[in-house]
Amino acid sequence: MKCNKTLLKITPLIVACTLAVSGCSSTKVQRVDANQEVALSDKWNGKDSQLVAEAMINDMLSFPWVNDHLQKEGQRPAIIIQSVRNKSHQHIAVDTFLNDLKRSILRSGQADFVANKDVRLEIREERKDQELNSSLETQNEMGQEQGADYALSGTINSFVDEQGGSRVTFYQVDLRLIDMTSNREVWNGQKKIQKLQERSRFGF
Amino acid sequence: MQSSVFNHFYLATCLLCLSLLAGCQSTPANKSAILLAQQGNFESAKQAIRTDYSPNGKSKLLHYLELGMLNHLQGNYERSNVLLSEAQDIIEAQYTISVVESAVALVSGPTYTTYAGKIYHRPLINLYKALNYNALANRAGPNKQQYLDSAMVEMRQLDTYLSNLKEQTGGYNSAGDNEPTSDDLTNRIYRLIQPIFAPNDLLVNIDYKDDAFAHYVSGVLFERSNELDSARIQYQRALGAFENGFTKQYNLNDKKIVSQVHTDLIRVMTKAGGYKNEIRKLNKKLDKAPSVTKTPLLNVIQNVGIGPQRKEFNLLLKADHESKALVMTPILWGTEKERRAQMKWFQMLFADTSVFDIVQNYAMGDIGDVAMGALTKRIPLGPLWDDAQDVGLVQALEYGSRISVTYLEPLQQQVKSAEVWVNGKKTAELDKIYSVSLLTLQDALRNANSEIQVALTREIIKAITAQKTINATGLDQSFAGFAKFATSVVNAVTASADLRQWQSLPAQINYAQIPLSKGTYEITLKTHLSSGKVIEQSEAVTVSDNITLWHTRTFLQQSRVTAPESTFL
Repeated sequence: MKCNKTLLKITPLIVACTLAVSGCSSTKVQRVDANQEVALSDKWNGKDSQLVAEAMINDMLSFPWVNDHLQKEGQRPAIIIQSVRNKSHQHIAVDTFLNDLKRSILRSGQADFVANKDVRLEIREERKDQELNSSLETQNEMGQEQGADYALSGTINSFVDEQGGSRVTFYQVDLRLIDMTSNREVWNGQKKIQKLQERSRFGF
Repeated sequence: MQSSVFNHFYLATCLLCLSLLAGCQSTPANKSAILLAQQGNFESAKQAIRTDYSPNGKSKLLHYLELGMLNHLQGNYERSNVLLSEAQDIIEAQYTISVVESAVALVSGPTYTTYAGKIYHRPLINLYKALNYNALANRAGPNKQQYLDSAMVEMRQLDTYLSNLKEQTGGYNSAGDNEPTSDDLTNRIYRLIQPIFAPNDLLVNIDYKDDAFAHYVSGVLFERSNELDSARIQYQRALGAFENGFTKQYNLNDKKIVSQVHTDLIRVMTKAGGYKNEIRKLNKKLDKAPSVTKTPLLNVIQNVGIGPQRKEFNLLLKADHESKALVMTPILWGTEKERRAQMKWFQMLFADTSVFDIVQNYAMGDIGDVAMGALTKRIPLGPLWDDAQDVGLVQALEYGSRISVTYLEPLQQQVKSAEVWVNGKKTAELDKIYSVSLLTLQDALRNANSEIQVALTREIIKAITAQKTINATGLDQSFAGFAKFATSVVNAVTASADLRQWQSLPAQINYAQIPLSKGTYEITLKTHLSSGKVIEQSEAVTVSDNITLWHTRTFLQQSRVTAPESTFL
């Protein structure tokens, strides 16, 4: 009898525990807007890449070199991206950042882009193939490429300060634009991002 | 009456056997996996890891660490880095301690918690990821700079981690800073708070405080990418740690390694320019000023052997009515070698061998207890005995309770020496620069006290809880001693020690630096073992930069089998 009473007492507890445990192991996936920031940590993420690229290109195009070039050459400047070195403490998909930079420039309509070395080589191979296999009307000629007027390069740096569960991460992106004829630095831009991550020592 | 005595004896024997069976020494899956890898059977090794360590379970960290290392050994460097990154994330997530899990562990055992790795695993993850990126860069191709940048990302993360570690531990400062002086107040307090189990001198200077080797590899990688300021800082940090205790703590060749780092530091300072005074000071420290060569340098990292295995040994905890004390007796189990190691471990860390313990035993018990000192650990309760009876502790320990802790077998010096031969000519000796074996041993020694105290507390709580449940449900009257026996068995079976560890790490790491002009060379490593056996391994290595870093793994149980690049078997 006493045994049954005890069983009755502990049954709700067992049920509650079972529900709690089964609830913990569920997985939920939902579709979210690609422009919406989902920051699960202080790591460099897609939103950072997009925001930095937009801000820096806006700054770059606000400098006088664009109008100077238009007045002098009568056409939009052509830019090539040389390299953006990741010197931060996080693995950053530099290619994604470069694509964000390109998109921002192209969207502005104030400058053109020249493909980088690897892409150029691939296109040349394709043109060689066209010479052999394409009709005369649709072939593209060799030696008609547009040369770049300016070279864009830069670095991504970071600093980390950590104490207990708090961590401050500071990212700094430095970009520069060089006139390929005169080696003049016509623009130098900087964008900083600071993130604070706080973790609690105890949780459930 | 005779029947009751027989029943109790029978039950106690069963409990003992079941306890021992539960703690029976079997080879863990990750040890089997690395042994398979040693034979070149990588796919079976990976399968063994996937089968035994789920990517979502309590030992998920081992799933990623072991698979990461196996892929590293196979030369699948990109895959290895993906897996090691997952491991890194799991370790970071363990910063937040789960209260629920801790509570469950308190009433079950440490194996029911999520494995969080050891303090020295994080730097090793960064290090192996950097070696992976470096190996990818060695393969040349258009992404070489990107791979080198990624290697440096790892080194920056490592630097952040080690900076925090040094802040907590004090790092390796000037010699003797961390040891209390003889008579001051600090010394007296230090002695007072010494652990109650282990002898005083055993646990001094065994903390993982900083990582000189990790700083050194960082320096090499930064120098490779011509980041001279970062390289200088890392070499300086490495030098400070090596000079102030790292070489002594890990039994390294002090003079040779320190001289090597001095030379590297002077070279980087000369390249960067503006460090004339510092170079003069460094030269003064050395017997002979090193010649700064402009010849490219090949840095050889040789990962040797397999790290030691954590094993389990059991103790029987009983209440001694006569001396009013709790008594722990080791239950030696396994091969003769294992039993000897268990006894040594017990005597070294727990047994009543200090003068204080002998006097205490003499005061609390009798001459027999004093004589048994080396074979038992007694915790005299004295006036607390009555309290122990009130809370049911004495009654709960009627059949004894199993306490399970880890131990390591004595380390064996298997490698006598190792040499680097270039195109058939002996060029350099490889020196031990890192000892994972000693790191593991020192970690086990450092945690031995807390481990046994936690195990003791846990088993006592489990025994008392079981006793109270039996009393509350009336099972003690219905089933006589059987209920108590059954709960003792359940408690004994769940009382396993936590033996989980990253098993595929090498036992030690050797290093050599060789000046070589750019070109491709036949590099041969000759590893001389204490047994007289010599392991020879050769590989074509291309020196294409001013600084080249090349790594390899040498397993000691096989002479040579065709293997993926950079893995000698």
